[in-house]
Amino acid sequence: MAATLTSRLFGQISSSVRNGIRRSYAAASGGTMTTQPGEEDKVTTITVEDKMDITPLTGVPEEHIKTRLVRICVPARNAMQSGTYGTRRWKIEFDVRERWENPLMGWISTGDPLSNTEVTFSSKDDAMAFCEKNGWEFFVEEPKKTSFKKKSYGDNFSWDKRTRRSTK
Amino acid sequence: MLRLWPLRQVVSSAGARFIPACQKSTAPEPAPELVEVFVNDKQVFVEPGTTVLQACAVAGIEIPRFCYHERLSIAGNCRMCLVEVERSAKPIASCAMPVMKGMKVKTDSPVTKKAREGVMEFLLMNHPLDCPICDQGGECDLQDQSMNFGSDKSRFTDIAFTGKRAVEDKNVGPLVKTIMTRCIHCTRCIRFASEVAGVEDLGTTGRGNEMQVGTYVEKMLQSELSGNVIDLCPVGALTSKPYAFTARPWETRKIESIDVMDALGSNIVVSMRTNEVMRVLPRVNEDINEEWISDKTRFAYDGLKRQRLTTPFLKDANGQLMQTDWESAFLAIARKLQGVEGSQMAAVAGGLVDAEALTSLKDLMNRLGCETLCTEEIFPMDGSGTDFRSNYLMNTTIAGVEEADVVLFIGTNPRFEAPVFNARVRKSWIHNDLKVAMIGAPVDLTYEYEHLGETVDVIEKLAGGNHPFCKVLESAKRPMVVMGSSCLQRSDGSALHFMVSTLANRVKAASGADAEWRVLNVLHRVASQVAALDLGYSAGVSGVREAKPQMLFLLGADEGAITRSDLADGAFVVYQGHHGDQGAQMADVILPGAAYTEKDATYVNTEGRAQLTRQAVTPPGMARNDWKVLRALSELLGVTLPYDKLQEVRQRMAEISPTLVRVGEIEEANFFKQAIEATKAGKTSLGKEPLVPPQQVLKDFYMTDSITRASPTMAKCVQAATEAESSVH
Repeated sequence: MAATLTSRLFGQISSSVRNGIRRSYAAASGGTMTTQPGEEDKVTTITVEDKMDITPLTGVPEEHIKTRLVRICVPARNAMQSGTYGTRRWKIEFDVRERWENPLMGWISTGDPLSNTEVTFSSKDDAMAFCEKNGWEFFVEEPKKTSFKKKSYGDNFSWDKRTRRSTK
Repeated sequence: MLRLWPLRQVVSSAGARFIPACQKSTAPEPAPELVEVFVNDKQVFVEPGTTVLQACAVAGIEIPRFCYHERLSIAGNCRMCLVEVERSAKPIASCAMPVMKGMKVKTDSPVTKKAREGVMEFLLMNHPLDCPICDQGGECDLQDQSMNFGSDKSRFTDIAFTGKRAVEDKNVGPLVKTIMTRCIHCTRCIRFASEVAGVEDLGTTGRGNEMQVGTYVEKMLQSELSGNVIDLCPVGALTSKPYAFTARPWETRKIESIDVMDALGSNIVVSMRTNEVMRVLPRVNEDINEEWISDKTRFAYDGLKRQRLTTPFLKDANGQLMQTDWESAFLAIARKLQGVEGSQMAAVAGGLVDAEALTSLKDLMNRLGCETLCTEEIFPMDGSGTDFRSNYLMNTTIAGVEEADVVLFIGTNPRFEAPVFNARVRKSWIHNDLKVAMIGAPVDLTYEYEHLGETVDVIEKLAGGNHPFCKVLESAKRPMVVMGSSCLQRSDGSALHFMVSTLANRVKAASGADAEWRVLNVLHRVASQVAALDLGYSAGVSGVREAKPQMLFLLGADEGAITRSDLADGAFVVYQGHHGDQGAQMADVILPGAAYTEKDATYVNTEGRAQLTRQAVTPPGMARNDWKVLRALSELLGVTLPYDKLQEVRQRMAEISPTLVRVGEIEEANFFKQAIEATKAGKTSLGKEPLVPPQQVLKDFYMTDSITRASPTMAKCVQAATEAESSVH
């Protein structure tokens, strides 16, 4: 995966840090850095050939990068309703960490900062790219397809088939 | 249509013209010409015979509906799906109307909107305004559709005079709660009961405003699939009794998981709130459970909160099990195992154990030098036994029933051993004119079948080709033979399996089935069996009985296959599992494990399809995920297992059998011929007793494992089913 970053992205980061990052990206990924003469700050493009890894930047503790397992899926339709709202976008789900009853109020607590994270994506690839750059292990569960069923009102009244309905 | 030949042709064919032998073209039949339909001026092409509603779905437009359901017959009585069609005098009910060429459907025209508003107004006129106390609130089709398509104001002012229609509630058993005033007469429940569940218990009485849905006389809805009417009901007329007033849908987390109450691995959604399982709902999977789940799957969840093992236990000097901590429990095991040789140990796995735990246990015991690892459920091990996967899988697959034309059940009652599979057979029986036959005790399968006999000699006759039913099997294009694993528990199980395999191979050869079609099927009863056999466990505890071990490890083995008398005197028994059931009673050390809703785990269903459960809640108390317990124990025993993460356990599983990590997919199993050739040597004689499946009537269905035995709801169901048996209705 190739990602393109412009130097403007890092506008708020101090120049020393910026240079460090830039160097590290170019060095780590074997990417190319093209600088047009005289316009160094305006059009500096770094092309990263490898997959992007933003884990050094995000500040997420290592525990929540190395040990998490993400499930990428499309939420199932609620069986209680006939609508299909909320079943079109891909979503990431983290593995569940321990929950316990809080002794103060009896409410349920968790120490997991990612348990309430809900991110949706328009495609599977977006979700996978997001997990890759955040350094999470993941697996993809393909949505269950429903098949087309031919239906006919006349079947209720067919005289020689078991589809004939007696109850109403 | 009678069509006369043109005279010219008759005359010319009288001459010496060559008439080809092949009457039918061998070229593939052309696909039916698609019909062009316009939905809101968007052009879509659909198959002829498609309904307008389905055509709109193809165009990406969902028509509001109450009575229409994909998996039920079309009723066309709620009128919510009215749409305007150009050059049609009135709005049409799109659920029942087939598309016509060039049809122009308008789904948000003023006419359509007005029609929907009118329908909503009539429906709401007699619908109580009790959404705040209604269990359907938040996931109610009527609520949502009145918001979206209803009028913004009400014209109903008659409340002081005659009031709203009120209907007496019905008592239909301990699972389904009825508030019949809320009923909008969509008849989905009636159609489900008569079409899918196959019980003609529900129906309507009266007409118009006086119409009532009910069971005519007060009786229990006697079906193993009755909970599905709760999902089907678009309003809050039928709700779940155990779930009543416990949670709202927006408060719960929905965790997509797998069921383990039978060997089908139905896809479920577990609703969790406050670290408790609030309810279980089905999840669509066309290959397994479509949209249905059995009542055991849906309502046994309260068994997960009772009889649980929450701390490790250790037997003290007085032989009393005392609570302890993990460390002392592990140390006690390690101390006892010193000096015990591997050959003096054995392990037995129960029916609810996941593949990760099975893998860890096997690796642990093998490292200790023990090779006696068994499952509680028996499967014949003679001859080729479990060496070939085809011997113990449902090879045709569950969805394969829909392609089959003859099914022969042997020694099984699929209605209670795999209710969702039985619903699929019934669907095939209705729509594809599937022919069903059965050898074994006559039970009510909800559809007609030919009963060939109860004893094993019928199978012998069939396998030998001297039975009248052989003709039916031979003339079938896609026959299926389904053998229940319950009948293989008999002492002559291996001979039975051999005989059925012979029959299946004979049928396959004699019938016109194509090479890809698989005839032999084994319908398992417990969720762990296929994974255990894949991992190389030997089926049945006869090995333990022979070995008389000093030390026995029970992993969720609760069916009482092994008792103290089968072991050496003073044998040391370790039980690991989630419920204090039979296994825990005979143990010296108890290690608390996690139930299926409490761990990320792999289960392999009777088709050989690996599926993942997801952790919904944290295991109670000190209980831990099973493979982690075994991993920790292995360290204290000095044989550390080489995996620390779930992914690493799964890598190990992939090393043993790649099928265990190919989630959601079926690997085809073959070698039917080789399997039977290898079995010939170890043939034993067939018994004379009739084939009687252990679950024959509804009351036998509810309590079959440690979770359901601990469930108060299931206990109520057994009571209600027992009472219903003696009822006059």
